[in-house]
Amino acid sequence: MAILLRFFRRFLAYRTSLLLGLLCIPLAQLCDVGITLLVGDALDRAQDASDTEWMTRVLLLMGAYAVGHSVMRFYQRWLIVVVSRRVEVDLKTELFGKLVSLPFAYHDRSRSGDVVSRVTSDVEAVRMVLGPGLMYTLGALVILPISIGYLFTINATLALMMTLPMFTMGLTMKLLSGRLHRQSVAVQESISAISHRAQENFGGIRVVKGYAREDSQADQFEGTSAINRDNQVLLGNARGVTNAAIYGSFDLTFAVILLIGGLAAVDRTLPIGDLFKFIDLTIKVFWPLIAIGWILGMLPRAVASAERVEELLNEENPIAEGHEKIARADVRGALAFEDVSFTYERGTEPALSGVTVRVEAGETLGVVGPTGAGKSTLINLVGRLFEADSGRIHLDGHEVRELAFDALRGTVGYVPQDSFLFSETYEENIRFGADHEMTDAEVDALIERVAMKDEVACFPEGKKTLVGERGVTLSGGQRQRTCIARALARDPRILLLDDCLSAVDTETEKELVGSLRSAGEGRTVIVAAHRLSTVQAADRILVLTRSGEVEAIGSHDELLEREGWYRDTWEQQQRTESLSAAVNDEVGGAA
Amino acid sequence: MSEAKSEKEPGGALEIDRSELVATKVWDTSLFKRLLTYARPHRRLFLKSFAVLSLLFIGELLGTRIWKGAIDGPVAGAADAEDKAPFVQALLWWVGAYVALIAAMTVLRYFQTATLNKTGQAVVHDLRAAVFRHLQSLDLGFFDRRPTGALVTRVTTDIESLSEMFTSGIIALLFDSVKVLVVLGMLFAIDVDLALITMLTTPILIGISLAFRGGARRAHREVRARLARLNGYLQEVLGGIRVVQVFRREERVAARFNEALARYFEANRRTIFLFALFYPVMSLAVYLIQGAALWAGIGSIVGKGLTYGEFVQFWLLLNMLVRPIRELGERYNVLQSAFASAERIFQVLDTAPTVVPPATPAAVRTAPGQAPHIAFEDVCFSYVADTPVLRGISFEIPPGKTVAVVGATGAGKSTLVNLLLRYYDASSGRVAVDDVDLRELETSAFRARFGLVLQEDFLFAGSVEENLVMDRSEVSAASLAEAIDAAQARDLVNGLEGGLAAEVAERGATFSTGERQLLAIARALAAEPDVVVLDEATAAVDSATEHRIERATSRLLAGRSALVIAHRLSTIRGADEILVMARGEIRERGTHDELLAAEGLYAKLHALQYAAASA
Repeated sequence: MAILLRFFRRFLAYRTSLLLGLLCIPLAQLCDVGITLLVGDALDRAQDASDTEWMTRVLLLMGAYAVGHSVMRFYQRWLIVVVSRRVEVDLKTELFGKLVSLPFAYHDRSRSGDVVSRVTSDVEAVRMVLGPGLMYTLGALVILPISIGYLFTINATLALMMTLPMFTMGLTMKLLSGRLHRQSVAVQESISAISHRAQENFGGIRVVKGYAREDSQADQFEGTSAINRDNQVLLGNARGVTNAAIYGSFDLTFAVILLIGGLAAVDRTLPIGDLFKFIDLTIKVFWPLIAIGWILGMLPRAVASAERVEELLNEENPIAEGHEKIARADVRGALAFEDVSFTYERGTEPALSGVTVRVEAGETLGVVGPTGAGKSTLINLVGRLFEADSGRIHLDGHEVRELAFDALRGTVGYVPQDSFLFSETYEENIRFGADHEMTDAEVDALIERVAMKDEVACFPEGKKTLVGERGVTLSGGQRQRTCIARALARDPRILLLDDCLSAVDTETEKELVGSLRSAGEGRTVIVAAHRLSTVQAADRILVLTRSGEVEAIGSHDELLEREGWYRDTWEQQQRTESLSAAVNDEVGGAA
Repeated sequence: MSEAKSEKEPGGALEIDRSELVATKVWDTSLFKRLLTYARPHRRLFLKSFAVLSLLFIGELLGTRIWKGAIDGPVAGAADAEDKAPFVQALLWWVGAYVALIAAMTVLRYFQTATLNKTGQAVVHDLRAAVFRHLQSLDLGFFDRRPTGALVTRVTTDIESLSEMFTSGIIALLFDSVKVLVVLGMLFAIDVDLALITMLTTPILIGISLAFRGGARRAHREVRARLARLNGYLQEVLGGIRVVQVFRREERVAARFNEALARYFEANRRTIFLFALFYPVMSLAVYLIQGAALWAGIGSIVGKGLTYGEFVQFWLLLNMLVRPIRELGERYNVLQSAFASAERIFQVLDTAPTVVPPATPAAVRTAPGQAPHIAFEDVCFSYVADTPVLRGISFEIPPGKTVAVVGATGAGKSTLVNLLLRYYDASSGRVAVDDVDLRELETSAFRARFGLVLQEDFLFAGSVEENLVMDRSEVSAASLAEAIDAAQARDLVNGLEGGLAAEVAERGATFSTGERQLLAIARALAAEPDVVVLDEATAAVDSATEHRIERATSRLLAGRSALVIAHRLSTIRGADEILVMARGEIRERGTHDELLAAEGLYAKLHALQYAAASA
């Protein structure tokens, strides 16, 4: 609960709106209660109705209360809920800022779905309880004592007795909330099972049809859907019980009023108008009461959510920026790894183990090795996406830890393995790389440089076309080239290519290696690759073993001379790949 | 067009698709009739729901009647009486009746929620299963043209919104209308003046409710769309966090995010405003009615035209009247989105497969266990009109022989596989099995005789065993064990935690390409197929795995009619005929030796490759 108070402090940033909104709650409720009292009194003084002046006064007063109630109720909701949304915006802004600043190691170990749900559903759960939740609770806390208190002055026994069913209702709801929660979790799970099955079937439809498994797949799906149906029915039953309990206690309150109030009325100790007040106030108290039950049910979830949000807000960033500043123009781009080791948090075996290698300024280093040999890791260490566990990495003789990000990351161009692009316009994706505002001519020059000019011209809106689902879908090769253009946009001293050609076919690779070579001219390049032909032309090639140790360093020709992983793999890759590549060359040449 | 452009202008990526916001119609009789056909098998449940709702409604009305009876009977009667005892007795009778009624209604309220829900779920489950079953019958072209996500939506979100239609939409709407009418009728029975006042103001309430629902729906959709965009951007940035950090674009993406956030907030403000307005306006209108009722009621009470009991009953009935009207807008929205979903669902159900099974399917002539003869006869094909992918392809696969196809990407190799499996039908020419057109065969029986190994073979969630058996009755434990051995996958399987029972992660992510291929071969071998379709993976694997794949492949092909899209030299050399394809045509054909002797394209390629391999 203390944690919710800490979050509530954020609401105080908007205290004027909040206080005004909170003030509206009792005012609105008082007007509402006032109307009931007015009608009740009017019933008892019905004989005075011939007195038109009195009747007019009653009606005018009722009108005033009604308008007051409505206006207050509008402001209460408008002010408080908008404040809660503002706090949501603040929280999300802060969380997002935190997320983009956290080191890659954090993102690597946390599932992205989990992070997203902290920013979305957890924030929402906290907002609901502290915004609308507070509003409803306060509303109930105001109207309940006022009404019961007032009724107490009329007939104490009845007022006391009628609260009994209300308590029972609160208790039943509390008892049932566990079952409701369990059932709705089960329903959610069975729904995602359905979507999982469907996704898998549609994605693997070639295999399904190829093995004539349509019927058995449909049967399986029907089974999954039936589980969902059964869970839904159970949830419905649980809701049914809750529903019955709520309305049952509501009706029971009326029964109490009918019995005790009726007896008092027969005795002439309770006038009809007062009986009416009991009835009408019960109706008015009932819904706020249910709302309280609803909020109490949400509280545990909100506390858990608040903890998750706070955990993210307090997440520490172990990769601090260094203080050493070098002017970007002075960076030459010589890199040196000295006895560098690194183990992933979730890994048991080191990804890199005692790697020492130097890359002179302007030199190209290829990094190869079996899957899991730490090729990408080596590249990620340069920009300090990860921090080496031991050993040192130097840029132009400065240790990277000591360097300001401006000097370190500011001079690095990076092409990621998955050729990640934003769903923005094609042009924006390239401009993303530049630290300055690029001119159109500069953008065009880059597009031409990575041989995308003709293709971009064919996009529906040229370089202003959105990339991704809502725009053009780029092929693997096009994405790669765009990533390269983006990296070149910052005119980097060091170009890092993280196994970026393994996803494209051999033909596309050929094209790309050409544009890469021209891109790398005059720059230090580290290129990790799965396919050896990618690094064939590198000045030197670093061969890593499966456990992240250096097996060999040398040029392509040197490495072929000696027995080992490189030569074996080269020969085998040639066998499997060269034929189709050659056919393509031949046909392409003939065309 | 120009309008769409201008909308996208600043920060186009954050813009939401306006077409998502367009509302559809609320009522569609033909759609509704069609939905009813799915409701018919569950008519008992529907009848039960109606019975429960009716009884509950009658109970509510009786409740108000008891109040009237109690007040006008014992309470009013005792006014001037000396002996209160008989009145107390009478009151206790009323209370007894009330408690009995409450007990019955509490039970009914349980069934109200439970039965209605059960009814809706029963119907949508049937519909969901039917949609999925229908999807299974559709041809591959249908799946190739649509994103998987959109199809998943058909059997998830769309079905769910239909279930709401059954649980809180149509039945409730129907009943609410009946309620409003009956309650109005009751009001007239109590007091004509009061009822007239109420009836005149009811349209105002309905008007407010309906006017609000339109605005609320639009506002809600906008909020949803903005939120989806916001979360989408967050997800995107998290996916590209490396790029963001290395390029030091933290502030740029934060600015974008905040922009999306601001738009989301604005949309929220509009929704809050509407909701903040709706309830007060609604209650103001109700107070208006109440004030009028008070004014008229007091007058009547004085004039002895109305009793206190009747006034209380009137007041309670008024509450019964307001609630369905307040919820009218919500029901209306449920109905509308349900119809939109129904339309999309029926669109799928109405899609007929273009690859149609024959009216009187023929059986494959060769008996199971014997390899059939396969022929492509002058086959042409195009996925999109006017872009031919295959141009007059003819070749034969004699029983038990292997035909290897080599060629560059886009030469049409995979299309041969698509046609042989009848994923698609040829535009002209025919594919024949034992001289019977594929289109005349019973597709599933024919496919069941295939062993299929695709490039990126698909592994399903479940155990390794389930993935290898694939629910085929002809696969026995013995044949599976044999297949695993033959596919050189024994070590692989034994090395898994739990062996065959080991769970496959999402899409087999834990297996390397080479391992997936061995498993796919085992899967194909398990049912001892007569025909093999093999699309060899191009991805590089280590030499040990390579060696195993080679051995597994030769076991797979031995004695079976096989079409292979080949990348491995060993496979190509072992083929009985090699087709060199380029641009949808066969450029050369023959055995490895023949082609080498012919000194054509293949020979040139082979020389090139041999040189490369020994460089």
